[in-house]
Amino acid sequence: MAKQKAFYFDASACIGCKACQIACKDKHDLPLGVRWRRVFEYGGGSWVEQNGVKVPSSLFSSYLSTACQHCESPVCRDVCPVQAITKREDGIVILDSEKCIGCRYCEWACPYSAPQFNEETKAMTKCHFCYDLQAQGLNPACVDACVMRCLDYGELDELRAKYGDLNEIEPLPTNEITNPALVITPHKHSQKSGEGTGRILNLEEEV
Amino acid sequence: MNKENMIQKALTDTVLTRRSFLKWSAALGGTAALAGGMNLGLKTVEAAAQTAAETDGKWVTVACWHNCGGRCLLKAHVVDGVVTRVKSDDTHPDSPNFPVQRACVRGRSQRMQVFGADRLKYPMKRKNWAPGGGKKELRGKDEWVRISWDEALDIFATETKRILDEHGNKSIYATSYGDAFGALYYDPISRIFSVLGGNVGAWGTVSWGAWPAPSIHMMGGFPSTNDRLDLQNSKLIVLWGANPAWSRQGNTTSFYMEAKRAGARIICVDPMYSATAKTLADEWIPCRPGTDTALLLAIAYHMIENNLQDQTFLDTYAVGFDRDHMPEGADPKENFKDYVLGKYDGTPKTPEWASEICGTHPSVIRSLSQQMATTKPAAFISSYAPARTNRGEQYAQAFFTVGWMTGNVGIPGGVVTWDPLPGGPPLVKLGPRGTSYKDNPVFPSKYLFPFPDPADETWTGLNWSEQWDAILNGEYTAGVRGKQPIDIRMIYHGHSAMLNQSPSLNKGIEAHRKVEFVVSASQFLTTNSKYADLVFPVTTYWERVGDLISANRESIFWWQQASQPLFEAKSDLEISLALAEKMGIDIEMIPFEQVIFNQVAGAEVIKPDGSGFEKLVTITADDIKEWGVEGEPQKGRISLKEFQEKGVYQVERKPGDRFTHIQLKAFRDDPVANPVGTPSGKLQIHSANLAGHIAAFGWDKIAPIAKYEPPVEGYEGTLDGEYPLQLWTPHYLRRSHSVFDNVTWLREAFPQEVWMNPIDAEARGIEQGDTIKITTKHGTALRHVKVDAGIMPGTIATGEGAWADRDDDTGIDMAGATNSLCGPVPTGQGVQGWNTTNAQVEKWTGKPIGADYKQPQRIIFGEEA
Repeated sequence: MAKQKAFYFDASACIGCKACQIACKDKHDLPLGVRWRRVFEYGGGSWVEQNGVKVPSSLFSSYLSTACQHCESPVCRDVCPVQAITKREDGIVILDSEKCIGCRYCEWACPYSAPQFNEETKAMTKCHFCYDLQAQGLNPACVDACVMRCLDYGELDELRAKYGDLNEIEPLPTNEITNPALVITPHKHSQKSGEGTGRILNLEEEV
Repeated sequence: MNKENMIQKALTDTVLTRRSFLKWSAALGGTAALAGGMNLGLKTVEAAAQTAAETDGKWVTVACWHNCGGRCLLKAHVVDGVVTRVKSDDTHPDSPNFPVQRACVRGRSQRMQVFGADRLKYPMKRKNWAPGGGKKELRGKDEWVRISWDEALDIFATETKRILDEHGNKSIYATSYGDAFGALYYDPISRIFSVLGGNVGAWGTVSWGAWPAPSIHMMGGFPSTNDRLDLQNSKLIVLWGANPAWSRQGNTTSFYMEAKRAGARIICVDPMYSATAKTLADEWIPCRPGTDTALLLAIAYHMIENNLQDQTFLDTYAVGFDRDHMPEGADPKENFKDYVLGKYDGTPKTPEWASEICGTHPSVIRSLSQQMATTKPAAFISSYAPARTNRGEQYAQAFFTVGWMTGNVGIPGGVVTWDPLPGGPPLVKLGPRGTSYKDNPVFPSKYLFPFPDPADETWTGLNWSEQWDAILNGEYTAGVRGKQPIDIRMIYHGHSAMLNQSPSLNKGIEAHRKVEFVVSASQFLTTNSKYADLVFPVTTYWERVGDLISANRESIFWWQQASQPLFEAKSDLEISLALAEKMGIDIEMIPFEQVIFNQVAGAEVIKPDGSGFEKLVTITADDIKEWGVEGEPQKGRISLKEFQEKGVYQVERKPGDRFTHIQLKAFRDDPVANPVGTPSGKLQIHSANLAGHIAAFGWDKIAPIAKYEPPVEGYEGTLDGEYPLQLWTPHYLRRSHSVFDNVTWLREAFPQEVWMNPIDAEARGIEQGDTIKITTKHGTALRHVKVDAGIMPGTIATGEGAWADRDDDTGIDMAGATNSLCGPVPTGQGVQGWNTTNAQVEKWTGKPIGADYKQPQRIIFGEEA
């Protein structure tokens, strides 16, 4: 297996606090509207009446912190008309904003919405796994920010040996398109991608 | 666009791009500025920015100073006076037993606050202000005029003296806490008033809700939570109204995760399926706000009915549970057990009885009771929130009583407490600051929080829930003295967010428009400053010389300066000294370097065998010389330079070490030798002193035992139909109270949303993302709604602390500031009952509101060339 850097995410411990999202914005000075790492809340269920008392019924909810998955088969790279997106030897998928012509095709193609458009520079941007920090032997900013210690990273095969090979829970898409370099420990409420019965609850994804 | 225009644009941009803030920071904190000593203008930008690019910079430990419920280590990457990035603690490898002091989402955004384009840059006055107030009705909507510091100090001095001469010290109301050196939460500016004879002070239990008085009278003092590692001994942890994932950020929730991993079952009782519950809870039990007492009484009923209470514990360690164990002089009929059984009032407090009030299913109540009574050891941990209710005292009484019925007191893994933050005496501590100050003779500082002695007839202070009515109506409640006249002519706000953060903003605005003079010291155009006549721009801690702080029992931090003061901002200490000079008065002052040095030199750390403390820091004669301070060389564990560079000292912990802490352990081991500080020396389920104390405050009365009596604007208040919903106001990750509400990154991450159950939304034709109008007896606000089955039907919630944005024409608050909706209802010991408010919601048919992060920042003045 080729070298492949990957993120690990422990859904069972995430409290949805977004320290990872803000640490990422701080590290990369991302403008408003651009979030290389995002945190979703996915859930569902309802309330039913039982002997005249409203009680929760099959209520479920959990958080998901997600960034670029540095996929083994990155469609963003495949669709870019100017080859601005490349996959490094270590598996990290990087985007050269200088080369980007701002057509936003990668944004449309990526099932994870990882490439994000910078309105100010009219170019795409995306998570590059803090390869600059990694080159100095440091952790990606998001990993070091997690107060619940539920983010980690490393070689994909090593992470899989340690945590298993789950890489698709709702609201992520199924893994078949891109082979995401991601390893997940599920929350008790996590549902397999494509089989979900809930919805993304976050208001900030709507207004 | 020329360079200066470009920077001008950057300064007024809603978004501070890297370019703009780099240049701005560079302009203000670059080498040239450092050399010049004070705030330079834009001409140095280019030079400083170039130097910055060529320098590697360094990481310095900086302040994260907010009243957030946590205390974490923050480091700023400073490149030649420019802060380019922040990070958190990386001073040792992270592990569950010896965790780094990791900062939360708000600390991570700190540089966007410090270098926000909306920082106040200059002293300013209201355009239509004149001595005596001028057009007072324009407060909050007048234009601002930039003035010099000299003029600002002069206006303050002249008006303050005039008001003092004409109306006396009791006409000045200062909402801050006075202190000599600006330690956290305290305001050195207000000491000016103390020297001049004092000022009327503001008091309230605020965050703590109704916990203080019941704690004092029922257990002899405030309980501490057990040590964080001891949580791992608990088989059951009940988190009651506690959502540490939002209210105790930093590492706290991870401590509970470790307890869960060690095998604890965790139950969350809460009106919301909270972030904490989602992650930690094996079971979530919904309970309506303000009705927890009813639920607790029913839990007690099930225990008594099935004889599950720890009777031996109660007989030995408590009084008031049953008629055979009453405190001296108490009516035996007034025992808790007979009240629960309904022996005298004819109402057994059964799960069915409680369910109608609290909305929890009776079978769930029985199950919870069974688990609480039989799983040992267990930790019963409430937050302050359920007691931040009208008549919150009865909740505190009931929580203690039911917790104690299980006997989980003074044993490993067992605790009954009201703070999810693990506790224990400090293992490392700072030396005293060595400062002193003249106390306020009108309202002594010891009375500011949580309350004055209601029997003391000498104080004049206004309760947070009564202050605006007092100013508007000329009368306040003065404990046993009853109603007393008051005539406030001047309001001073410093180190305070009183107008935004105390009940009834609408009355508050009216009160601000009534008085003759309003002064505010702040970093931004906060609600306080918006309605002021005169505003002093204040520096943040990043622009000051540094300081030390106790972070938690295991850690102390040493903060450094990261930037020169921005524009013309001054620290409140400097402002106080300038005011004193202007007014010709003397205030005590020792150099701040000495204050820092005193804390370092006096710092002590526990000895490895736990037998006592030893000096932490080695100080040499050279250090003392270099610092230019008074002191003696000493031997300690680490050098002064190492401590300063690292910015933290943390005691390493291991499970089973000597440093654990278990609340009331000595009492449990030997209750005769180590009685608690109550009249009986035991835990007082019945406390006549508590009932007497509450009555003395002058608002309402409670029984000496835990009873459920409907609070004002509680669940029962929804039943007549006009305001059929219960509004409650949790702490929210976007802010620490009102601080950070202006930070765009946090606004983007956390909309000021209102959570509403789909049942309530559907009944009103409301869908997620709609703009809704929330109406209470106290005001109206517009917000976006998040339709979420995770909040109990019949209740709505929105995070406290948004900066009010009241439209004066309609009276509608466009920001969703909770105090636009919450009423001033003084009860008990002067509690702010923010979690008991009746409300109605309808779909807003007017123009929908926009996303919070797209709203304009409050930028008064751009940078002038």
